[in-house]
Amino acid sequence: MEIGREILDQQLVDRTGQDMGKVDGIVLELRDDAPPRIAALLTGGHLLARRVHPRLEAWARRLTARWGPENREPLRIPWPKVKKIGVDVKVDVAADEAMPWEHWVRDHIIGRIPGA
Amino acid sequence: MSKLLKIALGIFTSIGGFLEIGAIATTAQAGAAFGLRLIWAVVLGTICVIFLVEMSGRLAAVSHHTIKDALRERFGPRVFALTLVSDVLINLLVLAAEIGGMSLALQLVTGISFRWWAIPVGFLTWLLLWKGTFGLIEKGVSLLGMVAVAFVIGAWKLHPPLDDLFAGVLPSMPSDRPALYWFTAVSILGAAISPYLFYFYSAGAIEDHWDEGDIGANRAVATVGMSFGGVLATAVLVVAAMVFYPVGIEAERGEQLALLLTSPLGRLGFYLFVATLFICCLGAALELALSTAYCFAQGLGWNWGENVRPRDAARFSLIYTVMIVAASLLMVSGIDPLQLTLFSMALTSLILPVVTIPFLILMNDADYVGEHGNGWISNIAVIVISLLASVVALVAIPLQLLAG
Repeated sequence: MEIGREILDQQLVDRTGQDMGKVDGIVLELRDDAPPRIAALLTGGHLLARRVHPRLEAWARRLTARWGPENREPLRIPWPKVKKIGVDVKVDVAADEAMPWEHWVRDHIIGRIPGA
Repeated sequence: MSKLLKIALGIFTSIGGFLEIGAIATTAQAGAAFGLRLIWAVVLGTICVIFLVEMSGRLAAVSHHTIKDALRERFGPRVFALTLVSDVLINLLVLAAEIGGMSLALQLVTGISFRWWAIPVGFLTWLLLWKGTFGLIEKGVSLLGMVAVAFVIGAWKLHPPLDDLFAGVLPSMPSDRPALYWFTAVSILGAAISPYLFYFYSAGAIEDHWDEGDIGANRAVATVGMSFGGVLATAVLVVAAMVFYPVGIEAERGEQLALLLTSPLGRLGFYLFVATLFICCLGAALELALSTAYCFAQGLGWNWGENVRPRDAARFSLIYTVMIVAASLLMVSGIDPLQLTLFSMALTSLILPVVTIPFLILMNDADYVGEHGNGWISNIAVIVISLLASVVALVAIPLQLLAG
């Protein structure tokens, strides 16, 4: 399997079928006596920003230093939780854990507007 | 019934994405300044947009990916970020122009300056997205947008000389004012080939759950829907050429545009023009705001959809809200809506290859479209037209700015 083409930057879908970000990074485990294997998938905005340009990540971190959700490190999805790779990557986790920003925007901005 | 729904998507995409302030302002300017000579730009733009819309529907039906989603996957974050930045910039300017178009329509009826209307009009647009569903917006705008057919009736009643009409279909060199001629030509192309239009269409196809069985219907919808837009745009050009060109009116101001349909249709023509301007710009504003939110959500993997409650797609709703607020404020500042329109349409042409080239690569990648890849005709047509538009824009925009 081509990791770069078939996993990286694919849509992540949680166990209820909800979109939960993209695969922004992959953690490889290097082994002495065998080829490297995938240990986990990562998803998170700062990681993505770093892949666009390291300076963008620094800028994003400064911008979000004062406000935003508390937990903003990339979410780590262990490889055994990956269930299926096809049009998207289905994983056995709950999207709620993975989307601190979605929740932050909902609770602090959108949820406060009438009719939301 | 489902066929009808698909056609509604095509007509809506066409009304909102094709005939809007961009197409009305650029074709009216073309007709007023150059008579029927620039019809070829409308034809070329229509051909290109038919291909692009058909491709975006086919990509969605076969791969179940929207364009943005596939772009991110195939080319990674950098190319995606590049296209996202250009989308946001252009969409913001064009959205401001559409809000300006609606405000202008209200100014024509009430006499109150468009600057005062920008906020209420922006609020109306936002409220429709906040409360409405995709189907309601889609069908409402398609139905009301039929009023635009008034331009075809107007063009018909003015009896344009058929020789000149057909001569205009073939590209020609300008006899005078070459800078304005080419600037107007690329503005027309930019107005026709709006990227937000096919992003929107591809998202609509995913929201309507298209699959491989829909490829044939998609081809028909793209062709019929976009040709409909092309005919309407041509009709505006013809009306302007018959009404303004002979008496030397340049159609540079909103009040002048209002006279377009009074000549063939009298007082009723005035109201038909105002209604067309308002509804088409509303459709476009809805598409632009949604399209920008789609770009973010699909490229970054957020929840998205016009049919879920705002709180269940919070970031998605935030993007369209911010876009509408920013665009309304731009209009309150008093920028002339028509000048902004012409400039942002030319700018769209300039960056067209950034959008079309990665898209064409996707449409020739068997991993995405399998056996349903592009034929050589659509590849060549899209690449030639978009490169041409970009190169001409590169030359014409500075020349036009110098000429003031």
